[in-house]
Amino acid sequence: MSQEIRVTPSAAAPVSGTEDRGPEPPGSESPAPPRERPIALPREVLERVRERDPQALAALFDRYFGMVYGLAYRLMGGRAPAEDIAQEVFLKVHRAAHQLDPSRDPAAWLSAITTNACRDVWRSGAGRMARASHSLDQDPEGFALSASSEDPETLALRAERERLVQDALQRLPEALRVPIVLHDYQGLQHQEIAEQLGIHHAAARKRYSRAITALAALLRETLG
Amino acid sequence: MEEIEDQTLSAEETRARDAVRALPAAEPDPEFRARLRDEFVAGRFEPAAVRTLRLPWHRRPMTHWTLATAAAVTIVAGGLALNQGAAWHAISAHGAGTVIVDGRPVEFSADTDLDALFRPGTRIVMPDDADVTLRSGDAMLAVITPGSDVTVPSLPGRWFARTGIGEVRSGELRLSTGAGFRGATLGLQTPEARVLVTGTTLAVICEPTGTCLCVLEGVAHLGTDARSMETVTAGSRGYVFADGRPMAHAEMRPNEVPLLGTLRDTAREALKRR
Repeated sequence: MSQEIRVTPSAAAPVSGTEDRGPEPPGSESPAPPRERPIALPREVLERVRERDPQALAALFDRYFGMVYGLAYRLMGGRAPAEDIAQEVFLKVHRAAHQLDPSRDPAAWLSAITTNACRDVWRSGAGRMARASHSLDQDPEGFALSASSEDPETLALRAERERLVQDALQRLPEALRVPIVLHDYQGLQHQEIAEQLGIHHAAARKRYSRAITALAALLRETLG
Repeated sequence: MEEIEDQTLSAEETRARDAVRALPAAEPDPEFRARLRDEFVAGRFEPAAVRTLRLPWHRRPMTHWTLATAAAVTIVAGGLALNQGAAWHAISAHGAGTVIVDGRPVEFSADTDLDALFRPGTRIVMPDDADVTLRSGDAMLAVITPGSDVTVPSLPGRWFARTGIGEVRSGELRLSTGAGFRGATLGLQTPEARVLVTGTTLAVICEPTGTCLCVLEGVAHLGTDARSMETVTAGSRGYVFADGRPMAHAEMRPNEVPLLGTLRDTAREALKRR
């Protein structure tokens, strides 16, 4: 017997990562806002996820699918590998639902599973193959991602810029790509990244610093 | 405190950071999302969910393991083959008659393929008036004297498993080792004694009264079992009696001195490293 679950934003679960970001450097007139995480599901819903209650599972999926898919997309650099990763992640989550800690926001857990799934693919060599065939499944969604009422030229420029940034990310070594995507795209703090990667906080910060320097150099080449 | 890097970012790094932050949320294919949602809620994942991540055959872990196992087996087999010491090769033979090879009589003559007969582990009973000299690479020279009943010694490995074994049931086996034997050991069993050879020129003489070990060069060890081994030094002999009397030591038999001296000289020439 499962009852309908209504999930409303909870004030008790605001994990946005914004407190992690210090003052902006001088000269950045309109710094990009950090991405916000999904609002955590209430504890009682998570407890029913542990029991694989269908409605709770649906709530979990609806709340976190976008986060998982987006992270996979930015790490893997394409729709097809992102779908593969998302499938893998939700398969694992279903199998390991009983291990979910209902007292914590599952975002970090899901993020770690997603990152590890990507790293497994890279380690296995499938990532290299995916990159080799990437141009064939390059997103026709460049425009769709930015669908709005803006004029076609603005949309095209935006899509082109997004493509260049994503390409630059893909050109980074995986060890550097992960901290940038987790920190700046996913909104995780360095401490959370360190926990996910199994490294010290200082090492995570240092890796991020190297990564952002490398990405800046790549973007200098492409964006000028 | 947390974002020291952010405070110290250069203008280009800040632009890079903001470019990543500005990336739009990736929109999935609605059909894919709906299908995965249904599967997740129902707990029934299409095989495709697993299959899509499956790698081509040459990338699959199972393939890697299979290839790695095959490579390891090949390497081990190749290593074992390469490790084998050089086979026994008959470099001289005298006399004629019938040699018993593993209980089977074989004509012993100039036309006999002796290399095929004298393989490690083969039991040989020599004719009463024939002898043969065998060489194993640069490791050993062995003379099996007329009438002797021996098991041709196995060969120590070149790099590992450097222990050979043989047996002398009656008669005499003379042995001289060369550079290729260095670091190896050869155990010889007789009816009442054990001989441990670690590099030397010696004769193992098996008589009805016991086993005599004559050592011309180096040292060898003689005893009734592993715990009672005694050292027999150059120029001496040790004797293990068949009737159980305590082992005896004395000077080596005078008649063995020229025989082993000749063997040693032959060995020095025949076992030279090429």
